[in-house]
Amino acid sequence: MKEQEKDFVEETPAAVEGTPLTEAEQAEQDLREKRRKRNAIKARLRNLKGWVYLLPALVLLAAFTLWPIINTLRIAFLNGYNGLAEVGGATFAFGFQNFVNVVNFPDFLVCLRNTLLLTVITVPISTMLALLIAVALNSIKWLKKVYQTIFFLPYVTNAIAIGMVFNAMFGEVLINGTPLSIGIINSILGVFGIEPINWINVGSSTFNNMVVLIIYIVWNALPFKILVLLGGLQNVDKQYYDAAKVDGASRWRVFWRVTVPLLSPMITYVVITGFIGGFKEYTSVVGIFGDSMGAPAAPGSMNTMVGLIYDCIAKNNGGLAAAAALILFLIILVATIINLYVSKKKTHY
Amino acid sequence: MKVVLEHLTKIFPSRNKKEKNAEVVAVNDFNLEIPDGKLIGLLGPSGCGKSTTLYMISGLQPPTSGKIYFGEDDVTELAAENRGIGLVFQNYALYPHMTVQQNILFPLQNLKGENRLSKEEMLARANEAAKLVQIDEYMNRKPSELSGGQQQRVAIARALVKMPRVLLLDEPLSNLDARLRLQTREEIRRIQRDTGITTIFVTHDQEEAMSISDYIVVMKLGVIMQTGKPQWVYDDPANLFVAKFLGTPPINVFRGRIEGEKLYIGEEAVFETKGAEDQEVYVGIRPEGFVLDERGGLTCSVSGIDVMGRDVSVVSTNENSLNPVIRSIVSADEAGKVSAVGDVKFRLKENKVFIFNKETEARVYFGAQVAAHEAMLSAMKAEGEFYAFHEGPLPREADDASKQTQPEEKKGFTVSVKNFFGKIGAAFRKQPETPAENATAEDTPAESAENAAESADDATQTESEDKE
Amino acid sequence: MSLNTVNSSTQNAAKGMKEKDVKVVSKRQTVTKVLVQIGLYFFLTIVAIAVIFPFYWMLISSVKTVDEYNLYNPTLWPTEFVWGNFKEAFVGELHLGQLFGNTVLVGVVSTLLSLVVTVLSAYAFARLDFKGKNFLFGAMLATMMIPGELFTVTNYITVVNWLNWKNTFAALIVPFLVSVFYIYLLRQNFMQIPNELYLAAKVDGTSDLKYLWKVMIPLASPTLISITILKMMGAWNSYIWPKLVTSDLAHKLVTVGIREYGFIQDGVTNFPAQMAAVLLVTIPLLIVFILFRKYIMRGVSRSGIKG
Repeated sequence: MKEQEKDFVEETPAAVEGTPLTEAEQAEQDLREKRRKRNAIKARLRNLKGWVYLLPALVLLAAFTLWPIINTLRIAFLNGYNGLAEVGGATFAFGFQNFVNVVNFPDFLVCLRNTLLLTVITVPISTMLALLIAVALNSIKWLKKVYQTIFFLPYVTNAIAIGMVFNAMFGEVLINGTPLSIGIINSILGVFGIEPINWINVGSSTFNNMVVLIIYIVWNALPFKILVLLGGLQNVDKQYYDAAKVDGASRWRVFWRVTVPLLSPMITYVVITGFIGGFKEYTSVVGIFGDSMGAPAAPGSMNTMVGLIYDCIAKNNGGLAAAAALILFLIILVATIINLYVSKKKTHY
Repeated sequence: MKVVLEHLTKIFPSRNKKEKNAEVVAVNDFNLEIPDGKLIGLLGPSGCGKSTTLYMISGLQPPTSGKIYFGEDDVTELAAENRGIGLVFQNYALYPHMTVQQNILFPLQNLKGENRLSKEEMLARANEAAKLVQIDEYMNRKPSELSGGQQQRVAIARALVKMPRVLLLDEPLSNLDARLRLQTREEIRRIQRDTGITTIFVTHDQEEAMSISDYIVVMKLGVIMQTGKPQWVYDDPANLFVAKFLGTPPINVFRGRIEGEKLYIGEEAVFETKGAEDQEVYVGIRPEGFVLDERGGLTCSVSGIDVMGRDVSVVSTNENSLNPVIRSIVSADEAGKVSAVGDVKFRLKENKVFIFNKETEARVYFGAQVAAHEAMLSAMKAEGEFYAFHEGPLPREADDASKQTQPEEKKGFTVSVKNFFGKIGAAFRKQPETPAENATAEDTPAESAENAAESADDATQTESEDKE
Repeated sequence: MSLNTVNSSTQNAAKGMKEKDVKVVSKRQTVTKVLVQIGLYFFLTIVAIAVIFPFYWMLISSVKTVDEYNLYNPTLWPTEFVWGNFKEAFVGELHLGQLFGNTVLVGVVSTLLSLVVTVLSAYAFARLDFKGKNFLFGAMLATMMIPGELFTVTNYITVVNWLNWKNTFAALIVPFLVSVFYIYLLRQNFMQIPNELYLAAKVDGTSDLKYLWKVMIPLASPTLISITILKMMGAWNSYIWPKLVTSDLAHKLVTVGIREYGFIQDGVTNFPAQMAAVLLVTIPLLIVFILFRKYIMRGVSRSGIKG
């Protein structure tokens, strides 16, 4: 704004030279003075207007975004914090007890293990598969749109609802412990001579549970990755492929030496978002195993870090939940930094 | 390696599915025998099918019909990777993630079976190629760290390293600035001479093609107009298109007629045209074909004189000229005779004047030109030289206009923007120096909005005073 | 290096090519091309079947009788079609109608309010000038990196313990009205609209709000549609927060409802009934997807965040 005011002064030569003003010049200067004042008021109003437009968003953000950041940090360091008790007037001592308690939680290691395993296994599988599908999609013409639409379908579905479908597909229908139905997946595997497997029913192994969960998570993660990678592929200059063709590169070499390096920014993006999503895995477990977060008679065996946080929240153990959330945040932060560091070394341009 | 194209045709299907007739004939019944070890320039205006021809030779685009031979081998059905060609793309298409060395090594690493090379051999070959194009100092750089000319050389090295049978270059100089262009085209000439590889390059710049090619092929709308050594084609254009396409400054074209073996431009009889029948014609006169002569047959009114060092270009007009101005190049001494305004009379050098039939636009030979042309034709035949020109009716632009599918302009958004611009323009036009027009990108939107409001106020001074 | 080397090797390479039978090469190359295409379609088809199969299973299971579903080896095509499972979902203990109603109400209200807040904020960031704008915008974007669980911890305490909003629609709607990502998306879109339009409006004496309504919103409508759809889908699919803050049928959302409901009949899970309910939840999503595929895909490819 200051600059504008300066402009006005400079535009009036009479004022600079200090010579007496003619009537016309005087009138003109008055006009300029008025306009300058009007401008200053306008500027102040405009400044205000911006904040008025933002007001609703700012109020909500302050209450449900800014305050949580401060408060979650605060209560994580208040020993044994309980939201209900605080409303009742209780006070809590500062300390690290919440973190100690979370780590000593019997479920903590199980949750951490499940979360890490799911992430580390599903992200590479889904990324590789998505990359293959995207490349395949990019090299066909006929029915391309149809395939593309099909592959995107899992994205628009309800994770819980389709989790229940996976539960139905893998689950056996038991009556008094003997299978009434072995389930469609076992039935299909039977065609290949494989005996029925107890995937998710009573007494199923953690390994089998994990396999089902991984299949579901990969199924669910594919659409987004395919969409991003295919978008990236379509942006790659076709000339690189023509050049590779003239250079006599085989399809396999083109894939590894041209496609993958040129797509590396997209791949990095997909891997990082995949890792973040993996660490926050929760609804797919609920979808398949229900609230018990595990096969019947083994509740909590498939629980994840986020599941742990929600358990604590629901029990009003705000302090524990905050501590667990901070630990998860740190894990995600470290993983993202590692990802970025590795990709910087591998991404060539 | 000799390259032979037989009845090569490429038809692109219509992009618009509704209009089935809107297919584009990019290359039409192309017959050409390219001699071994020469540098050939495919030349023509954009959309003449020259790039398509190049891509068909490369194998990246399959021809609709016709045959392509490399030497005695029919390679029509062969994919690009099996043809043993090197191709330099217009934008070079260097792999951005690989160093110069990796880029040059890439084709060698793809060799299979008996052609497979050891690591040392590959490196040695890559080094040879890099040295040939004088890029060996930059082996460890990424393409993004090189200038356009250097990238161009890497692209040539990558194409050469596998020792191709034929080297193809698509508009190799179009992405370079003027100075580099001169330098690089000499470089391409040198590399081609050094390696002796049959090289075909595509360009729309006639000067570029004329300066380095052994032979040029002039194309129009997918049809060969004329082929031959650049100088022959320049000196003996087969039709109006070729005459107009070659030469800077361009040839001057006049409306004229032949009557009783005399050439008339307007009412002036310019010279005798022995052996030519009466007809309406176009007369093409090379800028160097004009001689200042007070007894000359062509009168033009001078509008200016451009001094270009040794030579002087006299700029003049004539009501029968198809070009807006006539450019004639005369020596500096002679130019002194020309007054800056008024009429000037030219005598014409007969060998620099080409006459074309008005209907067919084909060359009409007259006088000494007939014998000269005949002599050259028989000499060509005797020596088996690379020379040909188009016979029969010429392709017309009009036939093509309906076929060319233009990308549709984006609707909606643009339209509304235009409406607004109209309004804004009205407000600003009165004030050429409004702050808003001087507003730079750094200005915040609101600030320049303020400025605009201000200037609008000024434009309608009375109104704003009323408000106050 | 000697240029002759290149020259002679060139001829060698040429000779090497000549010795090959061109026809054999071209035939092999056609065969490879066809085989690769077949391979690609085979691979894509296998994956496509794997992707579609859960939908298929849901569909056919929902019209099977319990007895047929419980066959030792389930049938891939129902021998008898029954529609009772769908009726059961609405009239039975699940109260799917009520759940749908709650969810649609929450979805519509929160989407509308969210759109108002988002448009106003995006406009302020894109077109208005005020002190601290850039800092504020940067700070908002920075919050996108923090995982939502961190917010949920305190928001639960705020909403349930302090505001006492347990089992109210406010608890479901208010905390998620502002999405920094949507503000960002719309601001970027607004920024693309040329400033000249704004100047022209100023010259014509148009007020900011009118300009926003008449010019900005129509021009940014594709982005607004994307936001609307993603927001609606988000409400439809939300599970975690609704589960924390609601427990009564009057406020329960559909995803929570079907997951909690046991579908137990005679001590055995009634899978056909469950699949019918799941199908009813999925169908609206599929319809929206078919109608607005373009908008959804565009919104998604820029976000990386699920609905």
